[in-house]
Amino acid sequence: MKIEELRAGDELLYSGELLLMRDAAQKRLKMLLEEGEELPVSLDGAIIFYAGPAKPTKDSFGAIGPTTSNRMDAFLEMLYLKGVLATVGKGKRGQQAVSLCKEYGRAYFLAPSGAAAALAGRISSMTVVAFDDLGTEAIFRVRVKDFPLYVAIDYLGNDVFIKNRG
Amino acid sequence: MDPAIVELLDHYEGPFSSVLRENAIAAKETGLPICQDTGFLEFFVFQGNEVALEEPIIETLNSAVKKVYNDKPYRYSIVSDPLKRVNTRDNTPVVCHLFPVRGDRLEIRFLVKGGGSENLSRLFMLNPTATVDDLVRTVVESLKESAARGCPPLKVGIGIGGSSDKAMVLAKLALTRSFDERHHDKDYAALEERILGEINDRLSGSGNGYNRLLGAHRDLSLAHRHNAGGTRNGLLYRKKGESNP
Repeated sequence: MKIEELRAGDELLYSGELLLMRDAAQKRLKMLLEEGEELPVSLDGAIIFYAGPAKPTKDSFGAIGPTTSNRMDAFLEMLYLKGVLATVGKGKRGQQAVSLCKEYGRAYFLAPSGAAAALAGRISSMTVVAFDDLGTEAIFRVRVKDFPLYVAIDYLGNDVFIKNRG
Repeated sequence: MDPAIVELLDHYEGPFSSVLRENAIAAKETGLPICQDTGFLEFFVFQGNEVALEEPIIETLNSAVKKVYNDKPYRYSIVSDPLKRVNTRDNTPVVCHLFPVRGDRLEIRFLVKGGGSENLSRLFMLNPTATVDDLVRTVVESLKESAARGCPPLKVGIGIGGSSDKAMVLAKLALTRSFDERHHDKDYAALEERILGEINDRLSGSGNGYNRLLGAHRDLSLAHRHNAGGTRNGLLYRKKGESNP
């Protein structure tokens, strides 16, 4: 994915890998770094999806969808410093996140909320890579096909939630 | 699905419109939830004084939720302790509000409330001299700050009056009404319409990124409680033969 080619407001279908992690996992990553420990997963080039899947069924990896990104603004710089390319979540983020996207040249995407059953059908594999004890808040690696994304903050710091606000 | 939601979905042409429509069908066919956040279960139990139960109602509700969440592909979102945060892996305990009423009827309302909407809850202590305009402004300002972090379409529940905790419960109770149901008291119904209009105007102004992105419709339910001189009246869902919840 070429982040520089994407602009706030663009819609795209993404096929490839996503790393699922949310509040609890990021808090643990931060603690590990503060203690000088190695991270249990490489974040270099990763696209992070702020999500915790529901239970799998025999036909599906489970309902899945984005959680509120703004809550995890405080961990965003840590992710960027570890090489994260972009994040995917729900809703408007704070000014701090917009500035970081611009400073590091990274993007923030929205995934559709209220589309968990449809998104489950776009996932072709899912494995736990760290923090299994956190249940739905563990870190998962998933492969997706034609996963709908919307560029909310582009690498220039344009934000659809504040752009053109009258 | 609420017919009001179906209509919104059919007419929605913003981002993600096709996947949202696909989702409604996929959820029906697969039994997967429409949203992965099958969050907190909150129950509002109106129990008549002539109703005798074999066990405390909260035990029945916890057992029911445990069974449903074990059987269905719903996410376990509840932790046992706010500091230790260990997932209970059955989505209990539930939150149960009990309203003792007169009569032989048991009415149970409930919300399946995701964390993303729950954490946008706000409590405001307005002065006794606050006007209706102040009230409307408070609601609109709060939504300007928080609405873009929630999932469209927004449903807004407002509770007014009582103590701080009572107001919050009333706001939740207001959310148990259907999308297009208005308050039974015409003055409060008019206030609902006014607040709804202002929210939609202020958050959907032309050129606003939020509107362009979400094209959303908000709905609002308002529960109120007069608290002057200790009298209580005009409550939501007052029914003949029952005292006020």
